[in-house]
Amino acid sequence: MFRPVTGPTLWLYILGALAASGVIFFVLQAIPSRLRKPLVALITFVAGLYYATEFFWPVGADGANFLTPWIDPLAQMTQVLQAFALGLGVYSLASVHLRAVARQRSGWGFSVVLFAGLFAIALTGFLREYRPNRFNENVFNFFFVGGLQSLDATMFSIIAFYIVSAAYRAFRVRSIEATILLTSAFVVMLGQVALGQALTNNIPNQQFAANFRVENIANWILTRVNSPALLAVDFGLGIGGLATALRLWLSLERGSYFDKEL
Amino acid sequence: MEHATWPARIVLALFSIIIIGAVLSAQRGRKLFIRRIPGLTAIDEAVGRATEMGRPMLLSVGLGSIDIITLQALAILSSIVQTAARYGNRVLLPVADSAILPVAEDAVREAYTAGGRPDAFHPEDVMFLSDRQFAYAAGVAGLINREQVASMFLFGTFYAEALIMAENGNRVGAIQVAGTPSTTQIPFFIAACDYVIIGDEFYAATAYLTKQPTLLGSLVGQDIVKGILIACIVLGALLLTFGSPVLYNFFQDRDLPLLGYLRQAIEAGGS
Repeated sequence: MFRPVTGPTLWLYILGALAASGVIFFVLQAIPSRLRKPLVALITFVAGLYYATEFFWPVGADGANFLTPWIDPLAQMTQVLQAFALGLGVYSLASVHLRAVARQRSGWGFSVVLFAGLFAIALTGFLREYRPNRFNENVFNFFFVGGLQSLDATMFSIIAFYIVSAAYRAFRVRSIEATILLTSAFVVMLGQVALGQALTNNIPNQQFAANFRVENIANWILTRVNSPALLAVDFGLGIGGLATALRLWLSLERGSYFDKEL
Repeated sequence: MEHATWPARIVLALFSIIIIGAVLSAQRGRKLFIRRIPGLTAIDEAVGRATEMGRPMLLSVGLGSIDIITLQALAILSSIVQTAARYGNRVLLPVADSAILPVAEDAVREAYTAGGRPDAFHPEDVMFLSDRQFAYAAGVAGLINREQVASMFLFGTFYAEALIMAENGNRVGAIQVAGTPSTTQIPFFIAACDYVIIGDEFYAATAYLTKQPTLLGSLVGQDIVKGILIACIVLGALLLTFGSPVLYNFFQDRDLPLLGYLRQAIEAGGS
C-alpha cells in the first residue's frame, strides 16, 4: 500500500511524522482529564471495529476484502509504537543497575557485567551490520552464539532437573488425585519407552487382546482422556478470551483496573 | 489472512450478543452468585504470609506482550497488589516486555493508591529484566533467591520458563498461586505450585476478586455460552450417531440448505 521512499523524501517523511506526533502529544496533554476516558474508549472502539469488520466481512476470490490491504500498514504502525517502548525497557534496566553500582549494593559487580554485555553486544551488532568483515562477524558470534545462546541453552537444560524434583513432589501418593496422576503418568511413561513396551510384547496386537498392551493403554489415556480434557479447557479459555475482548473493546470496564466503571 | 466462515460469523455474533446482554443485565442490578475458587481464596493467605514474614511478594505476568491474556493477568495482579498495599507489603513485578512496563507500573501505582498506601509504591520494584525467555527466567530466579520472597503469583502467558520460576519459589518456601491459559504449562504449575487456577477460571478471577457487576455479568454470559456449546456437542454426537450430520456439517463449514440460501442471498445483495 505504501511504497518505500529513500533520500531527502525519507527525511521529510520522518520529520513530518515527528511533527505530527508532537501535535498529537500536545493535543492529548491539553484535553481535560474528564474527556480522556471517553477519547480512549472511542479510539479503542474504532481500532477494534476495524479488525472485527475485516475479519467478518465476506471476502472475494482472492481471499481479501476492502479492508484487508490496510492490515500490514497497521501492523507496522503497531511495531513502531512498540519500538518506542524498547527505550523504556533499557531505561528501567539502566536505572536499577546504575543505582546498584553507584551505591555499591551487594552483587554490584554483576550490574557492571550487565552493562559490559549490553554495550558489547550492541557495538559488535552495529559493526557486523554496517562494517561487515570476517573479524566483526567472528567477534559478534563470540558474544552472541558463544555467550548468549550457550547461556540460554544452559538455563533450558536446568529444566530437566526441575522436572524431576517437581514430579517427585507431585507423584507422592497423598490423595486419590495424586494416585490417579501417578498411575496414569507411570503407564504413559512405560508406553513411550522400549523397556515398557517389552513388558506386554507377548500380548497379540490384534482384536480385544490389543487393549492390554501398555503402548495402547498409554495411547488411549493420551487421546481419549487427556486430549478431550485439554480441548474442554481450551473451549473455556476461548469463551473467556472472547468475553474479556468484548469488555475491553466496548470499554465496559476500565483498563487498569478496578476503579469506577465507565 | 484468516477470515470468518459463515458458521463462525453466526456463532460469534450469537455468543457476543449473549455475553453483552448478560453484562448489561448485571449492570442494571441483577444479583449474581459466583462459586468459591480455592486458588483465589488462597491469595489472602499468601499476602498474609508475606506480611507476617516481612518479606516481599513476587508477581509475574510471564512472557506475553500487550494482549488479552496479559491485560487480564495485570487486572488480577492489581487486585492482589491492592490487598498487599493495605498491609504495606513490598511487591516485585519483573516484566519481560518493555511495552508492558509502563502499563504494569501504572497498574501497580493505582493499586497502591486504591489500597490507601501510595507512599509504599516504589517505581523500581516494577522492572524490565529481559525479553529473552531464559534470561528473564534467570533474572526472576535470582530475584526470588536474593529477596527470599514469601509468596509468588504467576498469572499470564508462560512457556518453558514457568517451571524454573516455580521451582525456585518452592526452594525458598514461598506460597505460590498460578494461573495461565498456556495449557502446556498447567501440569508444571500443578506440580510445583500450592494453588493453580485452571482454564477459564483465569478469566473468572477478576470477577471473583472484585465482585464488579460488569465482570460478574460477563461470567454469567460465558457460562450460558458454555452451556450452549456443551448442548451442541451432545446433540451433534447424538445426531451423528443416528445418521444425521447436520450439526457436524455446520461446524465443519459444509454447505447446509439454509446456510447456502442465506449465503447466496447476501452475496447477491452485495453485488
